Amino acid sequence: MIAEMLKKENVQIVESVADWKEAIHVAVQPLVDGGYVEARYIDGIIENTYAMGPYYVLIDDVALLHARPEQGCIEKQLGVTIVHEPVHFAEDGSKDARLLVTLSATDGEGHIAVMGALASLFMNEEKIATLVKSNSVDEVYEIFMNSSEE
Amino acid sequence: MAIKKIMCCCGSGIGSSLMLRMNVEKVLKQMGKTGIEVTHSTTSDAQAGAADLFCVGADLEEFVSSKGEYIALKNIMSAVELRAALEEKFAKLG
Repeated sequence: MIAEMLKKENVQIVESVADWKEAIHVAVQPLVDGGYVEARYIDGIIENTYAMGPYYVLIDDVALLHARPEQGCIEKQLGVTIVHEPVHFAEDGSKDARLLVTLSATDGEGHIAVMGALASLFMNEEKIATLVKSNSVDEVYEIFMNSSEE
Repeated sequence: MAIKKIMCCCGSGIGSSLMLRMNVEKVLKQMGKTGIEVTHSTTSDAQAGAADLFCVGADLEEFVSSKGEYIALKNIMSAVELRAALEEKFAKLG
């Protein structure tokens, strides 16, 4: 299921970023390069964050970066970025994340099966712990590929 | 006023709101509740009368707090927290 939306070339591991805005740039760039989103999708996510806060930090250590389809989505796709040094999405440190999943979705429904698989993965603390420390793109990619909806 | 329609909201209507909707559907099934429409949308669609119950993550509470009955979850991925909140609302509203 996730295989439909995640390509290994869109999985990356970085050591650290300057701040949450750079994190968004880094995490979305592969999807810009691949033609899945327009560059303005990055600005969309940043604008939405200023307007509504980092609501996409779903659980401790996990951010599902996304904006609205009309903010620059071209084709549905996922990107996965591991940042070894936690990104602080809130100044008070309450919204830290090391696993950044970038989502491009062209409508509200087309990616529902993939979201189910992602939800199962996000609720698996053991897998998240492995992902955030990983140094291997292959390992990260495999963990995503092997996740399916419960 | 019985709960017949639940709207799950997030900032963009494609990510966290959809995950929340799937969790709501799962929990309703566990609770044996049927005939309830669950949708997901952006917070801008959360208008008074648009649903009998709104469901959001705690950081978006301010966007629904004046629109009617709502649940604001600390952890939108937690089925336990969601079930407790839904049970409370069903006890109150039917």
